Amino acid sequence: MTTLELEGKVMETAPAKPRTVKMAGFGLDGKPTVAISIATAAVLIFAWWAATALKLAPSLFLPRPGEVLRQLSVIYTDGYAGASIGQHIGASLFRIGLAAALAVVTAIPIGLLMGLNRWAKGILDTPIEFYWPLPPLSYLPLMIIWLGIGETSKVALLFLAMFAPICLSAQAGVRSVSVERANAARSLGASRLQLFTHIVLPSALPEILTGVRIAFGIGWGTLVAAELIASTRGIGFLIMSAAQFLATDVVFVGIAIISVCAFGFGFSVRLLERVLVPWKGKA
Amino acid sequence: MLKIQNATVYFDGHDGKEIHALDRVNLDIPEGAFVVALGASGCGKSTLLNAIAGFLPISEGSISLNGREIVAPGADRGVVFQKDTLLPWSNIADNVALGLKFAGIGKKQRREKAVELLALVGLKDFAANFPHELSGGMRQRVGIARALATEPDILLMDEPFGALDSLTREQMQELLISVWHRTGKRIFFITHSIEEALFLGTQVIVMSPRPGRVVARYDLDFVRRFVETGDVRSIHLSQEFNTLREEIREILHCDHNRTELHA
Repeated sequence: MTTLELEGKVMETAPAKPRTVKMAGFGLDGKPTVAISIATAAVLIFAWWAATALKLAPSLFLPRPGEVLRQLSVIYTDGYAGASIGQHIGASLFRIGLAAALAVVTAIPIGLLMGLNRWAKGILDTPIEFYWPLPPLSYLPLMIIWLGIGETSKVALLFLAMFAPICLSAQAGVRSVSVERANAARSLGASRLQLFTHIVLPSALPEILTGVRIAFGIGWGTLVAAELIASTRGIGFLIMSAAQFLATDVVFVGIAIISVCAFGFGFSVRLLERVLVPWKGKA
Repeated sequence: MLKIQNATVYFDGHDGKEIHALDRVNLDIPEGAFVVALGASGCGKSTLLNAIAGFLPISEGSISLNGREIVAPGADRGVVFQKDTLLPWSNIADNVALGLKFAGIGKKQRREKAVELLALVGLKDFAANFPHELSGGMRQRVGIARALATEPDILLMDEPFGALDSLTREQMQELLISVWHRTGKRIFFITHSIEEALFLGTQVIVMSPRPGRVVARYDLDFVRRFVETGDVRSIHLSQEFNTLREEIREILHCDHNRTELHA
């Protein structure tokens, strides 16, 4: 009796779960990839360690992970080339931060204006389309000749590199405003200024933030070039200087620092997107 | 009174020849009327609506509202689009009150008006939701509420239910009739559905393409009958309704064949 009753209860509480199915998808189809990426990172680090442990390459070319970590702690405690690691990172962040701030406050209004006004577009397209495909290293000498070897030329180089993607994305943002949306606002009595502040600006915001993210990517890429100019501080300087002494482990430390910073910035802009444009991709 | 006299529109065609989109359309929309423009795509009905809204200048003729010539869009003409044009970053109440915000009206009054209008379209529980959380039919209802918020003289509706499924469409038609009846707003409504035109309009103009012009006009009272009885089925099944439907179908089809032959 008891067993039967028990069995009955078991049957009740755990009915056979039906087999759920899903439409065949295409490509990634929203499946998560983070675990795969983390596993890949682990495999790569293990391969690095294995290659050095098996002495496949001399440590001048490929230092051991342990060596790099040790070097990191040495630089952390003693600094490098007469400056602490904080000062090196601070110098780089100052340059890229200042350049980014200047690029954001100039490129967004200029890009919006270019998206809205025929004359602005016609006039400003010429210099921007001319300079932006150039590699920053190619106009680096001009920066030095015109602006000297101080901070100005470094920030200017970074600024120019970061200006174009933000400016172009602001233009694209304006283009993304549909005629219907603009007409709807007009028929609700929007003035030209209200059309801009209430419709164009928020519509363009997602594109602008994408531009800012790309600009940071390019900015970090240009940083090393910028710090080639007679620097005594900065992560780019640290890498270039270490390379001259064939201190491969220090180069690795520099690369690691840049990648952490770049990832941090990219992540912050993504967070900013989530706060400022939560509707992105939903409408 | 909304007065359209000899409204004619030419567009620039791709081949250098101009397209005659609208040919000498005359139409009066008095207070309280529900005028439906019916026709196949390309018959100029959207061109006519865009001209009334002020989105499009006309080549010849004149359009005036209460004696004033229409030259630009304005809050005296509320527009409901086929594609929903709600702002994704604003909640439903703020979307409804957008025109009031443009007019510089304070937050409290905007809020009150939005709540009142959302109740009118049956969405009073959705004030705090965002557009992407609503279905297509609900979003169109918000669009109607938004267009009413600035208390326009006329509501212009460009195939507002065209993208909805037929069940939702029927609900929306009844909702629109109740809004029209309760507010007394005059409405200019575009559709390519004969049944929709017959059911909704106090006046139906049948339009035909190349060039876009009015080929038939009907004064109807099915909508008033619905307001009195609330009985959709008997209207749709009535002899009168079906005769008219076949008659208009004949007009549109013969026209369609003529165009096909010319093309």
